[in-house]
Formats: sequence, structure tokens, C-alpha cells
Amino acid sequence: MRPETRAEIESLFERYPQKRGALLPAIYLVQAEKGFVDAESTRELAALFEIAPVEVHEVLSFYNMFYTEPQGRHHVYVCTNLPCSLRGARTLLAGLESHLGVHGGGTTRDGRITIGHEECLGSCGTAPVMRVDGRYHENLDLGAARRIVDELE
Amino acid sequence: MIVEPYVKNYLSEHYGDDAYRTLAGYEAKGGFAGLKKAVALAPEQVTELVKTSGLRGRGGAGFATGLKWSFMPKTSDRTKVIVVNGDESEPGSFKDRLIMERGPFEVLEGLLIGAWAMGAQRSYIYVRGEYAEAIRALESAVAELYKKKLLGKNILGKKGFEHDVVVHSGAGAYICGEETGLLESLEGKKGQPRKKPPFPAQHGAFGLPTTVNNIETFAHVPFILERGVEWFKSRGTEKSPGTTLFGVSGHVERPGLFELPLGTPLREVIGHAGGVRGGRRLKGVMPGGLSMQILPPTELDVPMAEEFLSQKGTHLGTGGVMVMDESVCMVRVATVVSYFFRDESCGQCTQCREGTAWVHKLCQRIEQGRGTEADLGLLTDVPKPMEGQTICAFADAAAWPIQGLLRHFRSDFEAHLSEKKCPFPESFEL
Amino acid sequence: MPTITIDGTEYEVPEGRMVLQAIDDLGLLMNGVDIPHYCWHPKLTIDGSCRLCQVEIEGMPKLQIACNTPVANGMKIHTKNDRVLAARQGVMELLLINHPLDCPICDQAGECKLQDYAFQWGVPESRTREPRRPAKKAVDLGPTIVFDQERCILCRRCVRFCREVPKTGELGVFNRGDESLLEVFPGSELDNPYSMNVADICPVGALTTRDFRFKIRVWFLDDVKSVCNQCSRGCNIVASRSNNNVYRFVPRRNDAVNETWMCDHGRMSYKLNAQGRVAAPRIDGREVSFTDAVKRAAELVRATLDAKAKIVGVASPFASNADLSAFRDLLTKLGAGSARFSVPRGEADDVLIEAEKAPNAAGCRALGMTESSDPVGRADLALVLGHTTTAEVFGDVGNIVLVDSHESALSARAAVVLPARTFLEKTGAFTNSRGLVQKFAAVVEPDFEAWSEADTLAQIAAAAGIS
Repeated sequence: MRPETRAEIESLFERYPQKRGALLPAIYLVQAEKGFVDAESTRELAALFEIAPVEVHEVLSFYNMFYTEPQGRHHVYVCTNLPCSLRGARTLLAGLESHLGVHGGGTTRDGRITIGHEECLGSCGTAPVMRVDGRYHENLDLGAARRIVDELE
Repeated sequence: MIVEPYVKNYLSEHYGDDAYRTLAGYEAKGGFAGLKKAVALAPEQVTELVKTSGLRGRGGAGFATGLKWSFMPKTSDRTKVIVVNGDESEPGSFKDRLIMERGPFEVLEGLLIGAWAMGAQRSYIYVRGEYAEAIRALESAVAELYKKKLLGKNILGKKGFEHDVVVHSGAGAYICGEETGLLESLEGKKGQPRKKPPFPAQHGAFGLPTTVNNIETFAHVPFILERGVEWFKSRGTEKSPGTTLFGVSGHVERPGLFELPLGTPLREVIGHAGGVRGGRRLKGVMPGGLSMQILPPTELDVPMAEEFLSQKGTHLGTGGVMVMDESVCMVRVATVVSYFFRDESCGQCTQCREGTAWVHKLCQRIEQGRGTEADLGLLTDVPKPMEGQTICAFADAAAWPIQGLLRHFRSDFEAHLSEKKCPFPESFEL
Repeated sequence: MPTITIDGTEYEVPEGRMVLQAIDDLGLLMNGVDIPHYCWHPKLTIDGSCRLCQVEIEGMPKLQIACNTPVANGMKIHTKNDRVLAARQGVMELLLINHPLDCPICDQAGECKLQDYAFQWGVPESRTREPRRPAKKAVDLGPTIVFDQERCILCRRCVRFCREVPKTGELGVFNRGDESLLEVFPGSELDNPYSMNVADICPVGALTTRDFRFKIRVWFLDDVKSVCNQCSRGCNIVASRSNNNVYRFVPRRNDAVNETWMCDHGRMSYKLNAQGRVAAPRIDGREVSFTDAVKRAAELVRATLDAKAKIVGVASPFASNADLSAFRDLLTKLGAGSARFSVPRGEADDVLIEAEKAPNAAGCRALGMTESSDPVGRADLALVLGHTTTAEVFGDVGNIVLVDSHESALSARAAVVLPARTFLEKTGAFTNSRGLVQKFAAVVEPDFEAWSEADTLAQIAAAAGIS
């Protein structure tokens, strides 16, 4: 990990009575470097937090928003839980995947976008919704979704 | 994004005003009057007051808030911790997000009142990782409070009243909304709920005495302190006073949030959302988020409060009202529901780990027209060991909706068996 | 002490214990009070996730897990009413739906807790039509353990063991829900001095030892109580035998010595019994009969006595207390003074492994023997047990009469060599480093003539006319 990342992680330790409390924020910081956390970074995190690499990997594998494999440059996730499905989210997702040529979810061949479904994003009143990287796009229809996705570089 | 509910009350009155998200704007609308009243009382008095108010937790369990606060040890040589549960992930529930984005100071003021009452020195606001905007709003509010010395040491000039707040982001796991699952996640581990004993008030975050409360629960507290217990109890029902932000979604004309007194009849709540879309017929309503049993159209008069809903075999949960019209195939609903629980099970307890997967596979099989009578029998049996027999209530929450769907919509399932396909061509696609 | 009632019978239990612990403290768990369980283990932290130990406790509306419910005076517990049996059956059924039907090829068969509890409390028939979750089969998890991921019931005993006992923490559970998998960090191994204990504690055949793999079915084995002889800890063991062969050692619980564990080195030491044995008596390197060797040894003793020359006795910390006692008595009669002995030493740890790499140095000391690795010095005859005192030390000694179980540089040097029985071939006792005298029983018979040291010395004494 970059020295700046390491320094930032170390500055978080004092916020928690036990340094391990800073592990989730630390993983986000490391993940921001390459878009995923590889084995080497996992070992570095383990050393920094004085735990075994397998314990770090347990955490990485448990949470949806942590990735241990390379990702597309952008994440596009459409919620397909019940309220969104009731308003056509699954049809929209299928259409979007078709538009990107990635059926059943996955990453576009040019590495631009990883598309998939997510569970409830807390946007049920403005369904369908998709999360693009850190932003929500709500009250979607397929046209709007396509336009948003086409603008991602 | 939603900026304010369609129907407002005391909690969300000013959510539409951007200035309300600044300290000055919040104070201009009466903010921190509650905290000032609280610190003029002895800490135990504040807890008593909250107890008397009858405020129930708004995170889904409805536990008496004042009673929970009273579990914290009175004196302690160990730091006491408040954890605010902002992990709102219950499908159908989107109220906490609005409160965090548009009324962050309400939460912080409520938290500080709790800190005074319980003698807690630090708080962690655990917000689900996907809620980037809410995290930003809270962090900004926290920073302002530190600048204006309403956080840190000697708050409001009171010697010894010190409090620190850390906003902490989750990383995408529904089970981290469970009280002890959240604590595990806060500690940097997998969010797998803990067995009890020990209880969080004795051994909570990082082993310290801890109270966990929901975002909305804290948001009500400043109003109770500012305007009084009688005022609070004049809204809502006797056992469930106050208002809540009902989230209505699905097949309605105007999905969104509606701040209404607890006890408002379900029919009225749906009415505020414009009724069933396109004038269609209602088929079923989930009144309290995905975990709570579905209600048939004959039960629309039920007052939306826990004490009434439980008599109808369901629960208030987080007041996430999901409306389904006549086009909907309830077997598809069961498949969506069971997939969610299969995906989100933490995997510790045998019955939950294996049961949620089995239930989903059965629903899929039936939905695809490959089901048998035996499968229907299994769908009734498999959830039984999931009820009341696991470390946390997730398995119960996974069992209930399936049981509710079978109870009220068995014919949908049987139609799939006999016709060997979905007999609802207009239903949402899976 | 609180009193609790279980299925109508009252028990006085220790304070401050969980129900399952208390029943175990009384020695009744699965031995009068049957509460089946997987994730709980008496020597590991409480987990609470298998849910099998649920019991009904009067006054508590939900069933409670016995492993995490503190005892309270007056508690009334039911372990076999319909409600508890239904809950148990529910757990067993759900554990079996993804479990592969491997019994015919699984080493655990016959000592498998899934088989046992399914048979006793499970469902009579499988109701699932769903394909079972595929996972890793028969992979080497490290140098000692074979891992079958499909069989794992996720009790997490192994994870807790590695974190809490050797504190190496190699194992973890990845993902969540029904995708949960027991794993090591990719590229790393389960490799610690206590690794094979995970095979003991794994209730099923997910973790088994490579050493025991496919060797024999456990129902052909006979278990004999013994004590490990590789260091002064004296871990209690069971030697599993069939057809006069030892197939494995397995630790035996002793809360005062080794709890429920033993180290891998000690566990594998059963192999030593068949390797490098002194299999025939020898005089000056020639194989002779036992009687002839005894006769020659007696001649050397008689000659040295008659010449009033020096006899030295060198004992072994591998000999039993009875052997050492007989040796001391004989040396006294020979006027040879007290015996000396040496102890091989090595690394110790803060778990079980001790620095003294022999089981009975304490026994030697208790009999007044002197520890020394110095040269023996001038002597005409040395009576030697074992080869922990090495050959170089005997530089100035005339004749060596050696009673030993295993070959060494010393047995090449000795004038007379007599085969001795190992601790697996006789009954006896060792005294461990804490002064605990621990008995062991004979497990196998050597397939050549061999006697205990005590019996051999008695024969020599008799032949030399020493009473």
C-alpha cells in the first residue's frame, strides 16, 4: 500500500479503543488504490493490524462492498429486491446488461463497467434505483439508465 | 432523491429546508433546546423521562427505549458507548436515510441527550456503506458540532460532560443491522451476531458497556425533551406514542415517505400514497418491511402499531409498507424474498444457513413449475426449526414472510403446481 | 453450590458454569445426561452456533442452548421431551441436506458424531431433492491434515483451536450464509506443532490425518490407555491397536496434564515402536540366544565383583519406575553406588512440549540417581539401560552390558546387548515433570524375545548368583 494510505490508516487507530475497529475503514482506503484488495495488500493489512491474513480475508469475503478480484472501472448495481422488482427493476437490469453485452452480470470486455444486482438500497420510494460507484440514480427507466451508463468512461 | 416526506409532522417538518442541515439552520428551528433542558436535569431523570414517554425503538424491534437506556451501568470505571444503528437495510425501509440526509442534527442532539442520561463518553454512528450521502451529511454535522464545542469536552459548558462521535461506514451486509452483528462489524470483524449472555449493556462494543439505538429513535428524543412527555403521548397510541416515517412502495400512485402518528390505519397510510396504482385491485400488503408477514386486503383497517399488528399475525417492523396489486404472483414474491434471506444469512446457525438456502431452492422449483405437493409440505416444515431457535432473529425474519405468503396465498403456490408454470403473465419479471 | 434438576433428577453443580460445562464437570455429559453438541468443546471458547444442544428450561419461553446458559439454583431442565427432540431433529435434518454421502469412504465412519447423532436423534429419511453443495475434496491442508470441505458442518472448533491453543490461527471461514467455507489463507497451510488435534475435535470427516488415511476401519481397533514417552509432560494417550499393531495414538483427556491435546511429534511417535529395534541379543556383535546373552552378562558381573573392580550403572529416563527401582536395588547389591543418567533436551513451548525429551527423568531423580553427561571415567564394567547417555562418554569403560529397545552407536560398542521392551510392550508407570505418577498398560507384544529392564536385570542377577 502507498505510504499515504498507511499513514491515513494509522491516524484512524485512535478513534477506536482497539485498533481493529479501524479495519473496515482501512480496507476501503486500500481498496481505493486498485479497486480491489489483492493478496499482498491483505498481508500488509494483517501485519498493520497484528492479525492473521486469513482473518483479513474472512472480512473481505463477508462484505459485498469489498472485492478481492479486479473490478471494472465503474460499478453499476441495480437493486432487484421486492419494492424495486415490483416497479420493473429486473426488466431494467436485463435491458441494461443487454445494452452492455454482459449477460448475467459481470465486467464489460473493455474493463469499463462491472454490472450486477444488489439488495435493497433504501430507495424504495424512488424505485427503480441503481448505484453507480458512490452515487444513487433513482426513478429510473431503461432510457435514463442507458444514458447514465454510456457517460461512464 | 427524496428531500422531504409527502406528509410531514414534527420530525420532518423542516427536512425540505437545506439550512436545517447546518447547525445555525437547525438551531433557528428550535434545535438543541431539548439538550439544554436535558442537562438541567439529573441524568437518571432524563432516562426516567424517556421511559415515561413510552418511546419505542424505531429499528424494527420496538423495544422500550427508556428501559434500554436504564440497562447501562450507573457508574462505571469503563468508558460507556452509544452506538447508533444507521444500517437501514430492511427492504421497504428508507426512512432512516432521509433522517440522516436531511435531519442529521436531530440524531446528534438525541444522541447527546442519551449520552447525558447514560453517562456515555463516546458514540459510533454506524451507517451502511451504500449511504454515501447520509455519511457525508452526518460527518459534516459532526464537524460543525466540534467547532461549536457541542462535542468534545465541556459540552454546553458542563464540566465533565464530554462526548466524542465517530461516523463509521458499513460495507454491505444486511446482518450488520442486527444489534450484535453491528457490534462485531464495528470491531472490524465479520458481522456475525453474538450469543447472549453477555448483553451489550455489560459487554458491548470493544467489550465496553454499550447501548444500541436506531437513527429514528434518537431523532425523536430532542422533541420529547423540548416539548414534554404529555405532548409526545398525545400523538400515536397508548402503547406506541409518537409518529413514524412510514415508507410506502410498490404498486401505489405516489410511493414515498409519510410521517404519520403510529396507529394510523393501514388503509389511510396507503391512501396518502395515492392508493393502488392505476385503480387496480389490491392483492396483498407487507406492512413492516420484508421480514414481516404479508396481510390480505381484508385487513386494511388494522392500526399501524405493533400491539395491533401482532394480533393479526404480523409486526410493525420498520413501517416499510410494500403494496402489491392483482398482477403480482406471490410465488415470485416468495422467490425474491427467500433469495434475499439466503444471500444475507451470516451463516453461523445451522438452521438459518441451511434453511434459508433450502427455502429459496424450494420457491425457485415451485416458481419454475417443477414443484410437487411434497415441496409445499417442505415449505411449511423447513421454516419451523428456524423460529426462535437461533442466535439472532434473522432466521425468524426469514421464516415469517414465507409462512405469511403460504397462509394467505396458498392458491398461488398450488396453481404453480397444477399448471406447471406461473399463471400470472402480468406479474413482475423475475 | 447451586442445585439444578435435569429430567427430574437433582444435581449439585459448581457455581458460575454454563449448563453444559456443569454437566461435563460432573462427568455426566453423554454419560448419563445426553445433550448432543458439535460446536461446544470443554477446552475451547463457547461458540453457540450449531444449535444442537438446545434444551427446555422451565420459565424460559424459548429453548436455550445449554452451552451458553449459566446455571442458576433451582433451574429445571428438560433434555428429552418432545419439543427438545423436535428441535434436535430439525438441526440434524438441516445439517444433512448438504452433507455428502461419503460414509463408505470416510475415515471418520464409526467414530463420527454426525452418524451417531443422526442415528439417535435425526430424521429417518432424507426429504431433500436438491443437489448438494460441491466443494473441495481430499486436499492437503498442510503436511499432516487432509481436508474435505464438503463434509464440514461449520462448527468452527478447528478455527477456535488454532487461534486459542497453538495460537497460529491458520483457519478461517470465508463468505457468509450457505456459501460459508472453511479455508486457509490462499497459498498458506495448516502447519503447527499441534495440527493433528484438529482431526480429533472435528466431529465429522472434514479434517482427518494423512497418517491414518484409509489404513483401517475404527471398528477393528482396540483402544488401550497409555502415556506418551516423548517428553516429560506425559500426555495421556490411547493407543489404538489391531492384530498386534499400533495404528495410531490419540490424546486422552486429563485436565491436570494435557487437557484434551497432544503434540504432533508425540502423536506420530507410535511409529518408533517398530523402527530400529534391537531384535536379537548379541555378544560382541554376534547374535545369540537370550539365555546365552544373560549368561555372558552374568559372567562379566561376577568377574568384576570378584576382582573388586569398578562397576558403574547408567540408567535411562525412558525406563519405567519399576525398572529403575530394580536397577537401583541391583546396583546397591553390587556396591556400584547410585546410578547416573542423562536426559536429552530440546525446545519447549508454552503449550505442552517440555524441554526434557524423555518421560521419566523425574523417576530417576526420585530414586536418587544423578544427572550427568560427563565422561563415565575409569570403570571395568558399565551396566547401561538405554542410550540417552551416548557412546563417547564411555571412552574409559572396559565392558558395557546394554539393555535397550532401539539400536544406536552404543549398541554397536556394547559387549552384550539385550533387547528391552518398550513402554508399549509392558505395564508400568512414568513420573512426569510435575511429579504425577502415570500408569500405562501393554498394548502389543514384540515379535521377538524381549523382557522389561527389571526382568532382564533379575535374570542377570540370578545367573551371577546375586540374591
